[in-house]
Amino acid sequence: MSAEPAIPRPASARAREFRRILAEMLKIDRVRGGIVVAADGLVITSSLPRTVAVEPLAALTATLGRELEVGADRLKRTPFHTALFSADDGTVFLGSSPVGFVVVLGDREVNVGLVQWALRKALATLEGAWGPQSQIPASPEDI
Amino acid sequence: MGLLRLLSRIWDAITSFTRPPNAATLFRRADLIRQEGRFEEAAELVAHGLRLSPNNGVGHLLSAYLHLVFRQIGPAKSEFESVLALDPYHPRALLGLAKIALEERDLAACRPFLDKALQYYPDFPEAKALQDMVSSWTTAPAAPGQRPVYAGPPIQVEKLKPPAGGREFVLAQVDGTLVFSQQGDKDAEDLAGHVTQVYRIATATLQRAGLGALRRGIVQAATETTFFRTNDRLILALSFPQDVKVGFGLLETDKLWTNSLRELGVRA
Repeated sequence: MSAEPAIPRPASARAREFRRILAEMLKIDRVRGGIVVAADGLVITSSLPRTVAVEPLAALTATLGRELEVGADRLKRTPFHTALFSADDGTVFLGSSPVGFVVVLGDREVNVGLVQWALRKALATLEGAWGPQSQIPASPEDI
Repeated sequence: MGLLRLLSRIWDAITSFTRPPNAATLFRRADLIRQEGRFEEAAELVAHGLRLSPNNGVGHLLSAYLHLVFRQIGPAKSEFESVLALDPYHPRALLGLAKIALEERDLAACRPFLDKALQYYPDFPEAKALQDMVSSWTTAPAAPGQRPVYAGPPIQVEKLKPPAGGREFVLAQVDGTLVFSQQGDKDAEDLAGHVTQVYRIATATLQRAGLGALRRGIVQAATETTFFRTNDRLILALSFPQDVKVGFGLLETDKLWTNSLRELGVRA
């Protein structure tokens, strides 16, 4: 019940935190890659299959994240936390944070609930470095 | 002479620690720490640098990027324009303005920025990705009141009733034409515009990732969860309160999707 504001971590720890978060996401079975991209499209860290070019995907995911943010604002909705978009051969997961967007690519058999849960945990970690922690369900089944 | 030169070098090295850094040094440092995600510190350095060198294109470009990171779109636009005032063909400033135009759903403004960036720098991957995406859009989402009118088969509204708890149900064609909505006209047009834009960008993203065509989407926000269902002709979006179980939302969205396709005489 503490109302104390979150203390920002030392800034130099942030880059390491991004890399650690992405590495954790990549440990999930059937996750094929991921990017942490700032809202301006800057790639902070990435790990993608060789067949996928980083910069174009980062530009598109940042644009998608911004449309979800701007659209929610325009429609007077609350800002989005996470999103996923599925196709025949896999799923793109997107998480929003003050830093930018965490993007995860899963193949067609990826455990969607598990990735969503891990993504929320990752976003809470990022928010911890910037602001208040958000609520995370205790397990993927609670989503 | 050798001793003098050595002393001079030592003196230069000592004074370099106490001498205030010049603008170029500040911008270099700012760019490095920006790449680590240390945006607040980078913004301070850039502001300092621009006070020393107000007409520095690199400084204005970094400033524009940092405004975008902080979601300050007006100032970002102004900074990109400052870069173009110094260098009218700066590809990254052109890309920045293209992205802002896209956010503002101003496709007529977006396309020329991308074309110009690629005219001089044809191997600019980010600009090429966005150009490929927007070139496939037949029309921009129209301004309110100017949206194309649905001219398909008539729809029996009672057959497209959303489930309990379902709200903001909208059905649109992939060109942005509103087919059916649960809401009033103005809100429905805005919603259809957003849904169409999400569909278009998500489709491009999935294709770029080599995953195929968009079929489903789920967007979770603090107060609602929105489910998308699409094919290459139609987009359905349906929202529920945030605490909806994903399985229930998917099931109900699928039912409504099936009913919608049947009603419109479209094969799944």
